[in-house]
Amino acid sequence: MMQIVFNSFFSVLLMLPAVTLLCRRSQRMRSLPSMLLLVALLAGTLVAAVSFWQGNGLALDLSWAVPFPFVITVDRLSALFLLLICAVGAPVTLFSTSYIERHYSAAKADWLWRLLPLFLLSMALVVTASTAFAFLCGWELMTLFTAGLILIDGDSEGRRHNIFIYLLMMHAGAAAVIASFFLFLPHASALDYTSMRAAAAVMPAGLRTAIFLLSFVGFGTKAGVVPFHLWLPKAHPIAPSPVSALMSAVMLKTAIYGFVRFTFDFLGGGPAWWGYLVLLVGAATGLLGILYALTEHDMKRLLAYSSVENIGIIYLALGAALVFMANNAPAWAAAALVAALLHALNHALFKSLLFLGAGAISDVTHTIDIELMGGLLKRMRVTGTLFLIGCCAIIGLPLLNGFVSEWMIFRSFIAASELPGLSCAVILPLMAGVLALIGGIAVAVFAKLYGVAFLGRARSLQAEQATEVQKSMQAAMALLAAACLMIGILPGLVVTPMTVLASELLHSPALPEAALSVTRALPLIAACVAGLIVALASFRRIKRITATWACGLPALTSRMQYSSAAFSKPLRRVFARVYKAERTVDVQYTHQPYFAKSIVYRSVRTTSFEKSLYRPGVDAIVNMAQRLRKLQTGNMQVYLLYIFLALIALLIWMRFA
Amino acid sequence: MNLAIDLMQAFLLIAVAPLVSGVVARCKARVQNRRGASLWRPYAELLKLFCKEDLVPDTASALFRFAPAILFAATVTAAAFIPVLHPAALFGVSGDIIFLVYLLAIGRFFLMLGAMDGGSSFGGMGASREALVSALAEAPLLLALISVAILTHTVSVSGIVTTTLQQNPFHLSAVYAFALGALVLVALAEAGRIPVDNPATHLELTMIHEAMVLEYSGPSLALIEWASAIKLTLIMALLIGLFAPWGMATNASITVLLFAPLLFFFKLVVLAATIAIIECSMAKLRMYLVPDFLGMASALAILAVSFTALMR
Amino acid sequence: MGLIELAAAKALASSAVFLFITLLMMAAAKRISTCIVLFSLQSAIMASEILSMAWVGKSAEAYAVAALVIVVKVVAIPCALFRIIKDLKASQDVASSTTGVQSVFIMAALILLSFFAVAPYAVTLRLDEDMLAAAVALLLAGAFLMVSRKKALMQVIGLLVLENGIFVAALTTTYGMPLVIEIGIFFDLLMGVFLMGLFVFRIRDTFEHLDVSKLRRLRG
Repeated sequence: MMQIVFNSFFSVLLMLPAVTLLCRRSQRMRSLPSMLLLVALLAGTLVAAVSFWQGNGLALDLSWAVPFPFVITVDRLSALFLLLICAVGAPVTLFSTSYIERHYSAAKADWLWRLLPLFLLSMALVVTASTAFAFLCGWELMTLFTAGLILIDGDSEGRRHNIFIYLLMMHAGAAAVIASFFLFLPHASALDYTSMRAAAAVMPAGLRTAIFLLSFVGFGTKAGVVPFHLWLPKAHPIAPSPVSALMSAVMLKTAIYGFVRFTFDFLGGGPAWWGYLVLLVGAATGLLGILYALTEHDMKRLLAYSSVENIGIIYLALGAALVFMANNAPAWAAAALVAALLHALNHALFKSLLFLGAGAISDVTHTIDIELMGGLLKRMRVTGTLFLIGCCAIIGLPLLNGFVSEWMIFRSFIAASELPGLSCAVILPLMAGVLALIGGIAVAVFAKLYGVAFLGRARSLQAEQATEVQKSMQAAMALLAAACLMIGILPGLVVTPMTVLASELLHSPALPEAALSVTRALPLIAACVAGLIVALASFRRIKRITATWACGLPALTSRMQYSSAAFSKPLRRVFARVYKAERTVDVQYTHQPYFAKSIVYRSVRTTSFEKSLYRPGVDAIVNMAQRLRKLQTGNMQVYLLYIFLALIALLIWMRFA
Repeated sequence: MNLAIDLMQAFLLIAVAPLVSGVVARCKARVQNRRGASLWRPYAELLKLFCKEDLVPDTASALFRFAPAILFAATVTAAAFIPVLHPAALFGVSGDIIFLVYLLAIGRFFLMLGAMDGGSSFGGMGASREALVSALAEAPLLLALISVAILTHTVSVSGIVTTTLQQNPFHLSAVYAFALGALVLVALAEAGRIPVDNPATHLELTMIHEAMVLEYSGPSLALIEWASAIKLTLIMALLIGLFAPWGMATNASITVLLFAPLLFFFKLVVLAATIAIIECSMAKLRMYLVPDFLGMASALAILAVSFTALMR
Repeated sequence: MGLIELAAAKALASSAVFLFITLLMMAAAKRISTCIVLFSLQSAIMASEILSMAWVGKSAEAYAVAALVIVVKVVAIPCALFRIIKDLKASQDVASSTTGVQSVFIMAALILLSFFAVAPYAVTLRLDEDMLAAAVALLLAGAFLMVSRKKALMQVIGLLVLENGIFVAALTTTYGMPLVIEIGIFFDLLMGVFLMGLFVFRIRDTFEHLDVSKLRRLRG
């Protein structure tokens, strides 16, 4: 029965573009494609949920349609990520039904509805593939379809440059992933998962290390770890809001899926230095991501950098798992892995909520610059409250889902002190300090975002005239917020199947009780806190509305409030070495040098990675290419000489081989 | 029986909090050669505020009115984690250090948002400075607590206190010295005391906490002031519980139950006097020197965590 | 054991940690007199260590060494340095080339480095790892103070801390050097400090300040 639903899920997604082509012409059937997509995604959620909770596998063999082996299977790990894709995709689709109609012309909307199901299909293919060919198909198609979706929104010079960088980096990453697949070939009979697993068991250590490094780089590029994160803040903000939500929340997780599949399933862990490498990269990614987010006042870029930070946190947890496995503590390794997977799921939920909220705001105020917003909570009550839930979730406040995964990651780091080795007993608890620093700065970033955008006075006319968005958009966000709350208060629902998943994957005994104690405590504490808040807030207090204290001035204007740049200034000053800001002050004087006509202050953060890492590399490649150009002389005889030289070389080689 | 004691000690922390801030203010006054206000003045102030009406700025949204309630609820829940009379607290084994730190973060986050809702420069200024201090104080706080947790092999506050109680005071590891140093520095930052913040100032250049609550009045302000007093008492009780818990009631006999609160009050008064002396002997740090102060706390906390492994 | 003996034993077992704390405070100190007080505190901790060895080993020589340490390092040299400061009437500022936080972090890194460095030796020679690491840390800290502080008096204090480190290393590895060598070292130290005191006045009178970074102007 589940198999039938599963098969139909895939076929519906595949046929939807055709359906769109046919249906969008007539007025009555305009909304049929979106409804079908929603139904398909709900079916997918159901299938994935059942498979995740009960662990029964599903399989779909499509090798007859294509020349290479193409098998789709759903085991527990795939089921979790499929659940992630569909559970986030369904509210995003609901959101898009009204968002796309309001924002795009009919032709562009048609293209969006054609490409969106294909994008979702490619992501589903990546996480459920069980042959290398199917995986790589899905991988490349993800990139292509997102590029297409971004292009729909406009193809100005700047946008085309960003899309080019995105495609370039994604293909470089894909090249690394393809290479790591092919490195299995000497030992694997065929490139499907079971053979690869068996091959990894007999491989020499050098080959395993090469596969690990290549897959780390390849999947890291897609996930957006430092220093390969450059494309993230370029590509995510310029996509349409629902697509940004899917890219940030779901597409990055397919990279996490790939890394987990390679490192934990195929290779089965490795020496401790793998774990330390992943930890170091995760820490750098988390810190740099949130520090860059601090300087942004473009809401979507801020959220994109915050995704980089959360990917860093997931990699911290994965690194801890690798270190535990190398030190023969598989139970705690499973706990760290559960924490990483739970954080991936949580991030998908609250990041999509935040991006949809940004979409709702841009729908109403036609801007994503928070310096032009303000006072939106009074005018957009539902959106504001749901966005607040998203902000609290991403910071990791208790009673929401972000706290559970961060708690589990902290607990794993503390447990490392029990290990016998000296380096892991010192380094992992110190990583807890790094995680605490990342969390502290995240509180500042999201207090800034919410405070400047939603609270206080409106800073522009558009913000003053904002109204609430349509019901379907509100419903979509409410679904995601409800999921965040549910996992936050009753985490056992998702954590228990995840513990089974992790134990199966790592062949470990059951997780230690200490790793899961938060799941028992939360419902009780939630009830107490909720009761207290209700009791306090329902105090019938006399209230009188007055003006804000204005220090004797006649009135306060919206420009007297703290702006986003002002809010983040103290922290930016502390971390000035990271930003290396270039500051220019242009003063234009009137005819006398004592009176200035205008003063323009510009402070630009120079991203050091482009200058110090990428530019030299690109220059080196271009220089090498220039030198190789000399081979192309255009002279016929020189080309014949090349063939002649190759012939002589072959004869000599055959003699000595 | 245990539940009754646990509830009582949670109520004790909440009820005694204004008295503790009164004691600190009185000690400060005596050190400065003044007579000082009565010890019960904070209670009178709370009563006065509860009887007044709430003044709400016209720019504020519903969040402005909810924020004090959420702050108070979070702080009270956190107070229920700390053992006072008896080595287990109301939320017993489930109340661990990570939970504690993040509960305090809820209160801080909503206070910052409430400050920005007023729509004036004061609120934004207070919130931005508080963001600076709290972002940098979280790492040393967690690291110091983690080092103590590693030494006692348990993460819950009650567990740490129980384990420490059973040890001979002279057999404690020297790592506790580093953790204590880091926690004292962070406690000054978290409770908003000199040298990080001046709780008695009204000059905008020197305000952090006061700037955030400038727009609040009446019962909302009462809840916020009470919550900040509870936070100070909570931090002091945590320090006492982690580093000097001897004297707590380990069995339920009447003499022990009477003796424990007296000893606890005595320790609180000693800590309050220490805070008063520190506040009177240092000047408030310029705001951009506060990261240096917290950096030193971080260095101590990093050493504390490293030494748990190096000095095994 | 009695309470006092228990407390004494505990204090001695954690003297390494107390030495580290004095090092961190010295890194964070902003006034020269604070550094002098911390130096005398360090010497007092060392003296208590020697006294404990004397008590356990019942050797009169160790008592003599302890008395010497107290007289010279805890009382005489700090008093001399305070006298110099008072007579100089110069500012007490430490004139460090790194900020307070950076100094503290560098000091913490040096402490961790010293643990890292002595780990194999402590195991093979079966020594007290903490005190050996404290010795190396004192050495490195003394060198760091000399490198990062620009006042001439701070160079002296850095040298004294360095010598403390050598002393602690001697204590740990050989359970005290023979008395004659100790007396010789102390005499050298005393002479060194008095000579430095004299020179400091001469430097100040010639150049009118004590900032060693200004020596750069003497380059060719």
